[in-house]
Amino acid sequence: MLLAGFFGIPYEFRWSVLWEAPHYTWILDGLWMTLRISAISWIFAVLLGILFGALRTVPFRPLRALATAYVEFFRNVPLLVWLFFWYFGAPEVLPEPIRQWFIHHGMEFWSAVAGISVYHGARMSEVIRAGIQSIPKTQLEAGISSGLSVSQTYRLIIIPIALRLIVPPVTNESLNLLKNSSLAMTIGVAELTFATRQIETYTAKAFEAFTAGTLIYLVLCLSIAYIMNRVERKFAIPGLIARAERAEH
Amino acid sequence: MKRFGIFLMVAMLILGLAGISAAETTLEKIKRTGVFTVGTRSGSPPFGYINKQNEWVGFSVDLAGLAHKNIEKKLGQSVKFELKESTPATRIPLLSSMAVDLIAGTMTDTRARRESVDFSLTFFVTGAQFMVKKGSPIRGVKDIAGKRIGAQQGSTNERELRARYPQAVLVVFPDQPAAFTAMTQGKVDAYTNDGIQLWGLKMKASNPDDWEVVGEWYTYEPYGFAMRKNDSDFRQVVNVALMEAIEGGEYFKLYDKWFGLKGEVPYPLSPEAKRFLEMQVVPK
Repeated sequence: MLLAGFFGIPYEFRWSVLWEAPHYTWILDGLWMTLRISAISWIFAVLLGILFGALRTVPFRPLRALATAYVEFFRNVPLLVWLFFWYFGAPEVLPEPIRQWFIHHGMEFWSAVAGISVYHGARMSEVIRAGIQSIPKTQLEAGISSGLSVSQTYRLIIIPIALRLIVPPVTNESLNLLKNSSLAMTIGVAELTFATRQIETYTAKAFEAFTAGTLIYLVLCLSIAYIMNRVERKFAIPGLIARAERAEH
Repeated sequence: MKRFGIFLMVAMLILGLAGISAAETTLEKIKRTGVFTVGTRSGSPPFGYINKQNEWVGFSVDLAGLAHKNIEKKLGQSVKFELKESTPATRIPLLSSMAVDLIAGTMTDTRARRESVDFSLTFFVTGAQFMVKKGSPIRGVKDIAGKRIGAQQGSTNERELRARYPQAVLVVFPDQPAAFTAMTQGKVDAYTNDGIQLWGLKMKASNPDDWEVVGEWYTYEPYGFAMRKNDSDFRQVVNVALMEAIEGGEYFKLYDKWFGLKGEVPYPLSPEAKRFLEMQVVPK
């Protein structure tokens, strides 16, 4: 504030807009919506990612082609365009009774989840593919020569190792997913970015409103990064990934 | 070294902030840069929209053009006239950040908004209504309990419904095209906006007869141009341009062009509205 007065910046700060009713309820509702969209989309994205990531590496051409088509198709179009497609485009080909049911049961939310899951599923699958492919082929050969089928080898040996290798890039993609949930506001979902914008339009206090949004996203992302870091350390296979030596007590 | 780096960053931040603080008036800025930037709508016929020939036109755009001519006269130099897109949610930030000098769109003059911006004279009068599919059971603000109503983020209509009619299920979109599409697809039961804008959308739709504009005005929406606060010289120039246009008839010619019987959106000027506009013109 001192700085503002000194340099003649014509802006009056009023941080109380953030905790007056009903503004703080908007922030909390928006935060809850962001968490719901991100959590549900993340689960679907990881499932799609594991499925298509593995499919990209199997020694069977048609499946690989299918997986490649999925990845290239969905990750090369901006997410915003996908959200418009899933909300304004896709539902129009549903049979009318189903479409009506969806409209009254959160079509905005589920279109956002669909768009984000499928897009991030494509990106996750690339990350997972890279993880699987970094495992030496000898592992697959060893598994098969031990009497396991191809799918058993994948399920019991390759994928568990790949999952541990990919924790850092998956963390990165998960953070992207959380941040991309803010795009859902363009199709009518009242999530966190929408809420901060709402406060700004009601009070014209843009700095305060967007600072609140910034800080909340920052805290969410740092928390996720911290949790993933703990997960990585807990499930690490000793000797598998090179890491800086830490002195044991 | 690290300390010096931090010192550099802080110094740059302060210098940057000082840059913003240059308390120049709008006329000084226009004189210096030679550009008059106007924020207007691109999806709100007939106030500001892209027509079939891909030109950015509209009633508000034309009126802003009159202000532009007066600015050139006042500054005694030729000034470039630029348009920038603004929506209800972005217009005040665009103004305060000096990205635009004037908001000429569909902005309602309200007491709350006058805390953040200054308004010109009122150049149009309308009220909030609903747009529905033909034959819809919704005929006005009394029928909206439990129904899904689309609105634009940052609009006075959205605020009004949220405050006075919380039984309606509000679905808020960032802009008019998204909200209108949602209504045409049945994702919301009605779309609320100022009556004249709904008429504009109806006329521009591919099948105007499928849509109806219903309901008494549930709000009073006087449109004004918005500009930065405490800039009386600039406000004088804009207001005088409007007054001269109303006095000299130019305003009514433009009104007829857009809202006359052969205009884009027929919307006859009521005698009270005409009188109100004329009485805003103070003597020379």
